[in-house]
Amino acid sequence: MIKETMTPEERVWAAINLQPVDRVPVMPMVTAFPAIHKGMTYAEVNKNKDRARQCSMEVFDEVRGWDGILYPGYSVRAAPTLSAIIDQVPPLLQPGRELPANSPPQSAEHCLLTLEDYDVIIKQGWRGFAEKHYSRILPVPEDKLIAWAERQLEQFKKDVIAWEEKGVPCVLGGGIPTPLMFFSTTRSLTDFTLDLHRRPDKVAEVFDAVVDDFIQDAFDTIKLTGLPWIMLGLERGGCTYYSLKIFERFELPYIKRMVKAFTEGGLITLLHFDGDWTANLPYLKDLPKAKCICELDGTSDIFKAKELLRGHMCIMGDVPASLSSLGTPDEMEAYCSRLIDTIGEGGGFILSSGCELPADTKFENFKAMIDTAKMHRPANL
Amino acid sequence: MSELADALANLEEDKVRQLVQQRVNFNADAMSVVEELRKGMDIVGERYKSKEYFLSELIISGEMFKEAMAMIEPGLKAGKKGKPLGRMVLGTVKGDIHNIGKDIVATLLTAAGFEVYDLGIDVPPEKFVEKLSQTDSTILGMSGLLTPAFESMKETVKAVEAAGLRDKVKVIIGGGIVTEQVGRYVGADAFTDDASEGVEMCRGFVKGK
Repeated sequence: MIKETMTPEERVWAAINLQPVDRVPVMPMVTAFPAIHKGMTYAEVNKNKDRARQCSMEVFDEVRGWDGILYPGYSVRAAPTLSAIIDQVPPLLQPGRELPANSPPQSAEHCLLTLEDYDVIIKQGWRGFAEKHYSRILPVPEDKLIAWAERQLEQFKKDVIAWEEKGVPCVLGGGIPTPLMFFSTTRSLTDFTLDLHRRPDKVAEVFDAVVDDFIQDAFDTIKLTGLPWIMLGLERGGCTYYSLKIFERFELPYIKRMVKAFTEGGLITLLHFDGDWTANLPYLKDLPKAKCICELDGTSDIFKAKELLRGHMCIMGDVPASLSSLGTPDEMEAYCSRLIDTIGEGGGFILSSGCELPADTKFENFKAMIDTAKMHRPANL
Repeated sequence: MSELADALANLEEDKVRQLVQQRVNFNADAMSVVEELRKGMDIVGERYKSKEYFLSELIISGEMFKEAMAMIEPGLKAGKKGKPLGRMVLGTVKGDIHNIGKDIVATLLTAAGFEVYDLGIDVPPEKFVEKLSQTDSTILGMSGLLTPAFESMKETVKAVEAAGLRDKVKVIIGGGIVTEQVGRYVGADAFTDDASEGVEMCRGFVKGK
């Protein structure tokens, strides 16, 4: 075991600030895994969030803890306004409702916004549009939707307090998609891709009309949660989906604008990359130094990311989901040790699951991830 | 290369519509039009492989191909059907409702000349087995985006074995989190997280590779 001389909070912030750490911090994106591991169904998690949080705390104690909490519980973080709820809460099919009780929530992508909506959004902005037409995306009466968001926030605050009483820092205060991510999912991937091909100027106008409202929605949420990190949801803009030409026009300028606003507002931006973004990584050097975290899911080349972002941006990740659910503790230890040796070299690394930890993760694999961070010292530390 | 194949490869939607309509108006042999479209799609595949094109171009060309096929469908129904490159059963496995990757690969496989029996999403093992038997398909393609899909894929392979079909059927799995480790666990013959590569693998299967 490496002798610890920093608190978990100091360790995580040192990694973000690219400063020396006593050991590499480990902060997996733990969501439903503890509750499912303890025998709850997904539907029960939705109904009994206190019990689900208790499961997380039990697992936390069983592995002797990790360094920070990204999801203190199972509630949604979105300011109780129509626009914030819609742009921060993707439409999901829920276990025990549309899906079997033991199924994870899933999204079935449909075209929710029409071409005509683009013109309305350009004229009215995102907030103006969302207030009038939200029911197209979330068909629930307005008062019920607002009351739901308020209950979610109340639960969230309760979860944060419970962790803080345990002496564990919660960091992630909210999340927001980029315009490309949002419209790709609400128009559907196929329709949105055709929009980019057929009417690129119109799409750019729409993005310009919504981005400041998205930023404001994020700040409204952070104000209520009081936690200084914002997650920027990034999947569809990467090199799996689109050329760098599309990225440079429709994704990068908005990432820059959002990160600039968040940085000026005193926030750390967690750039949550799903899928392969390897070809896009060089552009991250244009973002402010030590103000963002590049979080990778095991699909992008994390070793290339280290070469490119060394001394500029903290990297977080990237234990692949398949390793957590199908691998062995030895394989987990070998992979995490390699990450600590290479990505941890010189600092600026947080060991984590690639995206969220799968709910069917083997407990012994999860423990191996946490233990490796606490026992495996990079050569230069 | 024909003007139509070239227009499809260059993603010129209006030009493709116009050229296909011309061929319909002149009662051109529908299968020869399909061949031209397939040549265009092959070029799209090559450009994707060389990283000139991305998933977006596969989607756009796939939509163009589907639209063109709908325009020549009456001719196809009336005329002699060509022999498919291969028959394949495809679906997103039990417990998983993600369809985007599966739908893209279904279009690309059809464009490549495969007869694709797309069973949709949340498909239980017995449905896959039933369709394989009914259609004499030699390839089973399973898609999934969640880790519980691994177990469903494995169950399906076991069901194919139990039905005595495993020796006749090649199994390919796909999805964003599919890895070599998953392929081994499931008992698949091939795995990929890339739709275009998946088509190449299926071509390899029917060539006996």
